[in-house]
Amino acid sequence: MTAIDTAAPGNSRARPSFYFRYMVEPYLYIAPALILIALVMLVPLVIGISYAFQAVNLLRPFETGWVGFENFQALWSDRKFWLALTNTFWWTIGSIFFQFFLGLGLALLLNTQFYGKRIVQALVFLPWAVPTFLSALTWAWLFNPTIGPLPHWLAALGILSEPFNILGDPNLAMWGPVTANVWFGIPFFAITLLAALQSIPGELYEAAEIDGATAWQTFTKITLPFLAPMIAITVMLRTIWIANFADLIFVMTGGGPANSTQILSTYIFTTAFRKLEFGYASAIAVALLALLLLYAVILLVLRKKLVKI
Amino acid sequence: MARIQLNNIAKSYGSVEVMRDINLTIEDGEFIVLVGPSGCGKSTLLRMIAGLEPISGGDFTVDGKRMNEVPPRDRDMAMVFQSYALYPHMDVARNMGFSLEIRKAPNEERTSKVALAAQTLGLTKLTERLPKQLSGGQRQRVAMGRAIVRDPSAFLFDEPLSNLDAALRVEMRLEIARLHQRLKATMIYVTHDQVEALTLADRIVVLNAGDIQQVGTPLELYDRPANKFVAQFIGSPTMNILEIEPGEGGIRLKNGAALSVGLPDGQKRASELGVRPEHLNIVAPDAAHLSGTAELVEHLGSDTNIHAHVPGIGQVLVREHGHFPLKTGEPVGIAVDLAKTHLFDPDGRRLAA
Repeated sequence: MTAIDTAAPGNSRARPSFYFRYMVEPYLYIAPALILIALVMLVPLVIGISYAFQAVNLLRPFETGWVGFENFQALWSDRKFWLALTNTFWWTIGSIFFQFFLGLGLALLLNTQFYGKRIVQALVFLPWAVPTFLSALTWAWLFNPTIGPLPHWLAALGILSEPFNILGDPNLAMWGPVTANVWFGIPFFAITLLAALQSIPGELYEAAEIDGATAWQTFTKITLPFLAPMIAITVMLRTIWIANFADLIFVMTGGGPANSTQILSTYIFTTAFRKLEFGYASAIAVALLALLLLYAVILLVLRKKLVKI
Repeated sequence: MARIQLNNIAKSYGSVEVMRDINLTIEDGEFIVLVGPSGCGKSTLLRMIAGLEPISGGDFTVDGKRMNEVPPRDRDMAMVFQSYALYPHMDVARNMGFSLEIRKAPNEERTSKVALAAQTLGLTKLTERLPKQLSGGQRQRVAMGRAIVRDPSAFLFDEPLSNLDAALRVEMRLEIARLHQRLKATMIYVTHDQVEALTLADRIVVLNAGDIQQVGTPLELYDRPANKFVAQFIGSPTMNILEIEPGEGGIRLKNGAALSVGLPDGQKRASELGVRPEHLNIVAPDAAHLSGTAELVEHLGSDTNIHAHVPGIGQVLVREHGHFPLKTGEPVGIAVDLAKTHLFDPDGRRLAA
């Protein structure tokens, strides 16, 4: 045993300087996490965004290089982009509106006591488990009058003048994917809101009842404030998700007819992988990213103002 | 103001009957305490009065009007919950004024009533805080404030002090007593703590296993318990119960000692003798009814509890006032205050002496 450290503490063993201990050392500890995040998130993001400022077209492999804001200038005067943006807006609003309110209704129903509750709860989750591609196909077939019942039912109810495929009508086509998306998205809201509902202490309802509150007052003054944080976060997540969600539309209508169901994410997909204009597709994606960031900021500010729990 | 009557009230969950034939009349302005061990049904009874639990049978009337099916919001009763049940997203003022907000009372009325209640309870400086920013005692006050603001016909308390520490509990007990003196409202108070019951109540209702054991003033329960359960539940430390058999000129204890306790005429069914620790005294061996050894001596300052072992009888607890100089293991003689004994028949019922 010769390797015993005989140096007295504070003498020959170097003490890290104040500067090192407070300004450098902490960053060494978090460096692994930061490097990992940078590698898997920031680097691809920066590369992706950088494409927006380049001409990257696989059909013209020799005309690449930095082009500044040229892609964005083209975007500004692209009629199809504005159409897709409008469609994205209606697609997102329509889907989230019905998903949220039907999901909330379902959650409120599931929060009561009834026979077979567990089985029903499990069944509610089912649309979530079906692969999107499959549900898109199924819905496309349901809307097809030759094999699906929906057009006939709609006609029988007088909503359609005759049983035709609404996916082929530019004025109605958006309702097809929206319906499929609502069916697909209700479980998400139902399950998350149900979890939030179940976390509300039952005594608060009893106290409110004794204080004289009606069912509606209890809902608005107890239930909603408790759900608010969950509502804010789920609506935000789902909005971003839906705005980016191209699968259903791509399978059901492919963006048609006449671009009437073309949303930004399907437009990005077609631009990148059909026309092979990666630079331009990136520019559209950056525009969508900016819009969604703005939306998220607004919602987070609102949440901070409104939510007290 | 309310006179509350329970006539043959019953409660069952499915086919399981937990309460039957509960009869009780609560006079206007009376402070009634429902007391009993956990699971005795006292909270269930209170919740039935509040309307939070359906009543399975019988009549529940307030001022003569049957209220069985009236929803809680129309019963005009305020309730203080054990967990306080404050609304966590509302500040103290809004919590207290919630019932007025619900009734869409004008703003000035709301503010003035809340301010008055806050002042009474010493909460004026806290009205803008959220419940999570308050201590347990303060939350308890807010819960009481919420009840006061309503000015209800009856106050219901469901073990309101059991989440507080001992010192705060005494303080809040006083506060509740003061509140009752000032408001003179009907109050029904549930607790498992007999000290709370004895100090607060005009009348105490002792419940056990869904049955009313006895209804009476604190002193009636203490002096003349209707049965062995009440005798042992009320009073601290617990009453000593000694097995006996009738003997000449009185009764005979299990170790053969005779006591000249007057048996009620013709009744030879007395099987047990109850005597409270404070009605036993340590005396010289020649004046003693019982003799044994001190197994444990607890010095509480104000009192001394002597756990004595009496051969042939078992443990007997004696309570002496003040500091009593006695050491563990010393022989003791015990005298019984014969006028303050209680006789029970084999079913545990009190035999009137």
